[in-house]
Amino acid sequence: MSALIEAQGLQKTFRARGRLVHAVNDVSLAVAPGEALGIVGESGCGKTTTARMLLRLEDPSAGRILFDGADITSLRGAALRPFRARAQLVFQNPFDALNPRFTIRRSLAEPLRNFGIPEAEHAARIDAVLNRVRLTPPEAWLDRRPHELSGGQLQRVVLARALIPGPSLIVADEPVSMLDVSVRAGILNLLREARDALGLAAIYISHDLALIRYVCERTLVMYLGRVVEEGPTTELIANPAHPYTRALVAAVPVPRVEQDRAALPIRGALSDAPPTGIGCAFRDRCPHAFARCADETPVARSLGGGRAVACHLGEAA
Amino acid sequence: MRGVRSALRFLRGEPFAAVGAAIYAVIIVVAIFADRLAPYDPKAILKVGARVARYLPMTPEHWLGTTSSGRDVLSQVIFGTRAALQVGLTAAFAVVAIGTLLGLLSGYLGGWVDRLITRVADIVLGLPFLPFMLVLAALTSPGTGVVIFTVTALLWPNTARVIRAQVLSLRERAWVEAARVTGCSTARIMFVHVLPQVLPLAALYGSVAIGWAILAEASASFLGFGDPSTVSWGVMLQDAYANQALSRGAWNWFGPPGAAIMAMVLAGFMISRGSEKLLFPKLADQ
Amino acid sequence: MSLLSVRSLRVTYASRSGPVRAVDGMDLEVPAGSITGLVGESGCGKSTLGRALMGVLPDAGRIAGGQVVFEGQDLIPLSESARRAIRWRRMSFIPQTAMNALDPVQRLRGQMLEVLIERGGFSRDRALVRAAELFRMVGLDPVRLADYPHQFSGGMRQRASIALALALEPALVIADEPVTALDVIVQRQVLDVLRELQARLNLAMILVTHDMAVVAYACDRVAVMYAGQVVESGPVEAVLERPLHPYTMGLTHAFPDVHGGSEALVPIEGAPPSLLHPPTGCRFAARCPFAQPRCHAEPPASRALGADHLVACWRAEEAPELRALAATPATWAAA
Repeated sequence: MSALIEAQGLQKTFRARGRLVHAVNDVSLAVAPGEALGIVGESGCGKTTTARMLLRLEDPSAGRILFDGADITSLRGAALRPFRARAQLVFQNPFDALNPRFTIRRSLAEPLRNFGIPEAEHAARIDAVLNRVRLTPPEAWLDRRPHELSGGQLQRVVLARALIPGPSLIVADEPVSMLDVSVRAGILNLLREARDALGLAAIYISHDLALIRYVCERTLVMYLGRVVEEGPTTELIANPAHPYTRALVAAVPVPRVEQDRAALPIRGALSDAPPTGIGCAFRDRCPHAFARCADETPVARSLGGGRAVACHLGEAA
Repeated sequence: MRGVRSALRFLRGEPFAAVGAAIYAVIIVVAIFADRLAPYDPKAILKVGARVARYLPMTPEHWLGTTSSGRDVLSQVIFGTRAALQVGLTAAFAVVAIGTLLGLLSGYLGGWVDRLITRVADIVLGLPFLPFMLVLAALTSPGTGVVIFTVTALLWPNTARVIRAQVLSLRERAWVEAARVTGCSTARIMFVHVLPQVLPLAALYGSVAIGWAILAEASASFLGFGDPSTVSWGVMLQDAYANQALSRGAWNWFGPPGAAIMAMVLAGFMISRGSEKLLFPKLADQ
Repeated sequence: MSLLSVRSLRVTYASRSGPVRAVDGMDLEVPAGSITGLVGESGCGKSTLGRALMGVLPDAGRIAGGQVVFEGQDLIPLSESARRAIRWRRMSFIPQTAMNALDPVQRLRGQMLEVLIERGGFSRDRALVRAAELFRMVGLDPVRLADYPHQFSGGMRQRASIALALALEPALVIADEPVTALDVIVQRQVLDVLRELQARLNLAMILVTHDMAVVAYACDRVAVMYAGQVVESGPVEAVLERPLHPYTMGLTHAFPDVHGGSEALVPIEGAPPSLLHPPTGCRFAARCPFAQPRCHAEPPASRALGADHLVACWRAEEAPELRALAATPATWAAA
């Protein structure tokens, strides 16, 4: 099956205090039509930058992005508009994602207008999408402004705006982290339903593996700009191959009485000057690091069953 | 309607801004009804019997007395509001329009556009106001045109700077990014999404520009670069000065136009100070 | 006997439309030497309670009634100077973002010394020794006392504010969402530091959070807050395994579990009531799938059901049946 969106060797570098920082370092990924991919990692791991490059909101320093087989890496302006209509974004902070001066109707009409949908169709499409995100009856919401809505309601509008141009791909960056717990499940369920009903592909960005597990079949784990492990979500969680994934899985708190309170299999802290250049970026924090980890950057190798890991452990010498 | 109510609520909470707005309101009303309010034609040379009614003191017939050429001071002050508003509003509009446009382009587009505009603004901010206007007036024909041009040319950088700063922070807002994702062109993002957000701030700088323009007009007229055929506060002051009103102690002649200029400049200042809390709530917290 | 008893506490905020009852008749017992989780959504009053206990309400806030009995003494009538004597020494605070606790333009050593010398009466030499000891205790290298807060990562800043809070060995520490802003691994490490120190120093701690999983990991007891009141409280095992209040039942199904099954999550539809004009009956009734006419008419009082397990719900006796129903999304969708 050919990929809907594909990234090949994405890089993002910038200068900070005279030093070259690789925010995203050689990331390749592919998402098939209708598939949901999770990208998980801690803040600063490059997951958001990766997503922004995929959506052409930021220019990669190197690498290519293919959408439906066509190279979109260097498209700009109006040439990008057909892609924009098909790849939409659900924002993290619903309180900031809608123009505060626009009514809900206007916020939803904006993409329709920009993507050249005849005005005669606007009202019907806006009604349909508000019904889909369960802001019913639509008339009750159309003339409100963002400040009149709660976080959960705003995020429904944000989702509606993403769905209204009829995209093939939705990227959601921490879509519920700013919401109250009681309404999070509602938004996640809506995202799942919309995907199933419309056959959308999705990329979820989150630091929360539990959330990723709920919505994504496949997951990619990032650490300091690199993909360290990739595989079907349930297997990756049940049986993590990379030492970092193992620590990440162990650290996720569970809302149950039985708790594993054993010390995490990780050393140090993310901020302790990460190793640069050659070698594994995780080696200083890895309980299993050995000489080779400093000498050679591990490359992803397949473990079979769609799984891959970039780690020297278990490699044939 | 909601806008009016919230504006009223704001004014109640900010006495500074309320006083400024009240001064503006009075001046606008006076300018509109100048014909009916003014007891005399401001340019008419009045006579007492056969003699020109020069240097009359304050009397029930002439509340503020008359000038050396026998014109009614009160009527001149009243008609002066029209010239003041004309110069003030035109200049303020031009300052706001140019400053906002350049600030918007500079802040949103960044890159060489930003560098160019910022550089030009820095140079313009270094130009001295009065000499610039006087040289310009000497080279062309003196009049309100020069005043308005000078105010616009020299005052836009202030507006452009604050608008640029505002736009720089707005550009990082998620809803601006959302506009990109939903297919808006750069021009549409700037003018449909971002511009309405900065207009209140721009209007604030406009209210300051009104005061500046009136001061500029008064200075130019006082120094003899005004248009003597118009009735303006600046021309009145120049007229009073040229006729030694000061040494004659005819403060009823030069006092009122001076007070009117001060009131109007003060009003702009008070509105801008009062609105700072509205526009920059963090400032008020400190 | 409890270290801290909050009885019928009411805190209101002045607003243009009238007083907002942020905390409205709240009861809470915090035993010595245990961690009590205070869990609820934003606006439920949990952070307000923390501030009221510390006596640091914002200007618009006011204690409108009730008692806060701490170490046998009601704090509400105390003067500001008497409160100040208790703050830091007997009761201290860890805020959500450590940047709020730490002075950005002062080295950490200076901030530690200020608390130890000014508030604790330490001599300078003893304070220096103690500061280093506190840093080691929270897992920070004492050489970093010479750093400014911005040179620290989020996790390290949170450790530093824990050290600051524990400097004078208080009996009670109130931690307001101490790990919310942190990444999972750092979050776990900070929770481990808190747990370890609590046990070692036999502290009582109130951990304010919105996250049931954090409560499950770190707390001994939990109080669930809704719209300014405690709706259920008790030992963590009891509340998590046998929730008696429909809101708690809903919360336990609202989180994805990283190791759990694939059952659908259950959202609690609707939004909390206005605290300006709270409803007369049970405050959760409007969102509750099990609400009956009585629930809308009369507020349920808090009562004990089972050892040390309090609940404010008219239908708490039916909890076992309601729990089964609450696990399916259809139940909640109908509400």
